[in-house]
Amino acid sequence: MTELARAIEALLFIAPEPLDQPTLMEITDESPAEVNRALDELRERHAEGTGLELAEVAGGWALRTRADLAPICDRLRARPREDRLSPAALETLAVVAYLEPVTRREIGRLRGVDVDSTVTSLLDRGLIEEGDRAQPNGPARYQTTTHFLERFGLARRGDLPTLERFELTGPEAQAIRARLQQAELIAEAETGEP
Amino acid sequence: MPALDSSAALTQQVEIDLFQGPFDLLLTLLLRDEVDLLELPLADLVEESVTTGTDERWDLDASSQLVLLLAAMADLKGRRMLGEEVEDEPDPDAIAMREALSARLVAYAPFQRAAQWLAERLRAAQGPRYRRVPPGTATPVPVRDDPARLRAAMDKMVEAPPVPSLDHMGVARRPLPELLGRLRESIARLREVSFDSMVVDCDRLEEALTLLAALELVRRGEAELRQDVPFGDILITGVR
Repeated sequence: MTELARAIEALLFIAPEPLDQPTLMEITDESPAEVNRALDELRERHAEGTGLELAEVAGGWALRTRADLAPICDRLRARPREDRLSPAALETLAVVAYLEPVTRREIGRLRGVDVDSTVTSLLDRGLIEEGDRAQPNGPARYQTTTHFLERFGLARRGDLPTLERFELTGPEAQAIRARLQQAELIAEAETGEP
Repeated sequence: MPALDSSAALTQQVEIDLFQGPFDLLLTLLLRDEVDLLELPLADLVEESVTTGTDERWDLDASSQLVLLLAAMADLKGRRMLGEEVEDEPDPDAIAMREALSARLVAYAPFQRAAQWLAERLRAAQGPRYRRVPPGTATPVPVRDDPARLRAAMDKMVEAPPVPSLDHMGVARRPLPELLGRLRESIARLREVSFDSMVVDCDRLEEALTLLAALELVRRGEAELRQDVPFGDILITGVR
C-alpha cells in the first residue's frame, strides 16, 4: 500500500463526513491523478471480504460499514432515527431531482395536487433547498441538497437512472389511450349532439 | 347479461387515501386491468378533490376530469346492461380533452415510478453505518473558539442602524421665523410694504411661507392686511 493510500485511509477513517477530491488534494498536497490512484488502491483493499467499504457519496468519499453488518453495528450504537418519507414526499422529491431547479407550480401541475405543504416539509428536512430564480422577482425554484444525496446514497447530483427508463412503454401508453377513449365515447353518446 | 352485484362492488372499494393525487389514482387503475374503474366510489372521489383535510389538496382541474371520465364510464356500463346501442361518434372536444388528459398522465408516469425507485434506494442506503454520525446530521457549530467572538457577533446584531439621510428631501430654504423677522423689519422701516415686493425672486414655497408670516403678524396684532382687488397685491401695514 502506498504512503498516500495509507494517508487517505486515515483521513477518511476520522472524517465525520465524506471528503471530496479537492479537499484530499489540499490536505495531502498531491495531484488529482495521484489521489485517484490512491483511492483506487483503497477501494481494492476494501473490496469484498472486509467490514468496511470505500463509497462515493454526496460528492465525496467515505469509509463506511457494509450494509449487511448493520444489525451488529446497531448493537453497539443505536440506529439513527430516520424520519419516514411519505409517498407524496418521495414523488415530490423525484420531480425535483429530475427537473431541478423547479417551481412549486410546476411540481403541482405535474402531480395534479397542491404541493405547498409537502415542499415545506421537504425544505424543513433539508432534502431540498431554494436554487437560483429564473427572474429576480420570479417564483422560488427548488433543487435537491447534499443531504438528499447522502440519505439516498447517491454519489453526486444527477446520479439517477435516466428518466426515459421510467417512461410508459408504447403498449402501456396505448392501453391508457384506449381506456380513456372508451370512456370518452360513452360521454359522447351521453351528451348527444356535438 | 350479468346481474349488477352492488355488494361485490362495495367490498372491492378502492382506498382513495392510498393514492398521491388524481393522476396516481387514474394511472394505477388504468394500468391495472383487474380493477374495474366503476368500483370507484364517485362521491368519495369528488369529496377528496374538494376537501382540504388531506395534506395535499387535489388539483381541481385534474380531479374533475377524472370524475367526468368515471361518470361517463358508469353511464356506459348502465346503458350496455340495459341493452342500449352506444354510438361511436367522435366529438373533437372530447378527443382534445382525452388527448390532454393522456398527455398529462404520460408526463406524470415517469415520476410515479422514479418515486418507487427512490423508495427502494432509500431502503438500500439505510444499511451502511458511518463513523460517529451519519453524514448530513452533524450540525456545524457556529463559533467554536471563544465567547468573545460570539459576543462580537452578537453586538453587530443589536447595534442601532445608521440614521437615514434626509438630504434629498428639499428642505425649506427660509424657515418661518426668519421670514417673520424680515417682514417685521420691513414694516418697522417702511410702515407699509407690498406683498409682491416681498416675494420678488421667491419660489412658490417661499411665497406661501411669506403669506403665512404675514397672517401670523395679523394674528399677533402687529399688522393689518389690505387687498383692494381680488388676486391683487396685498398691502401689509404695521400697527404701532
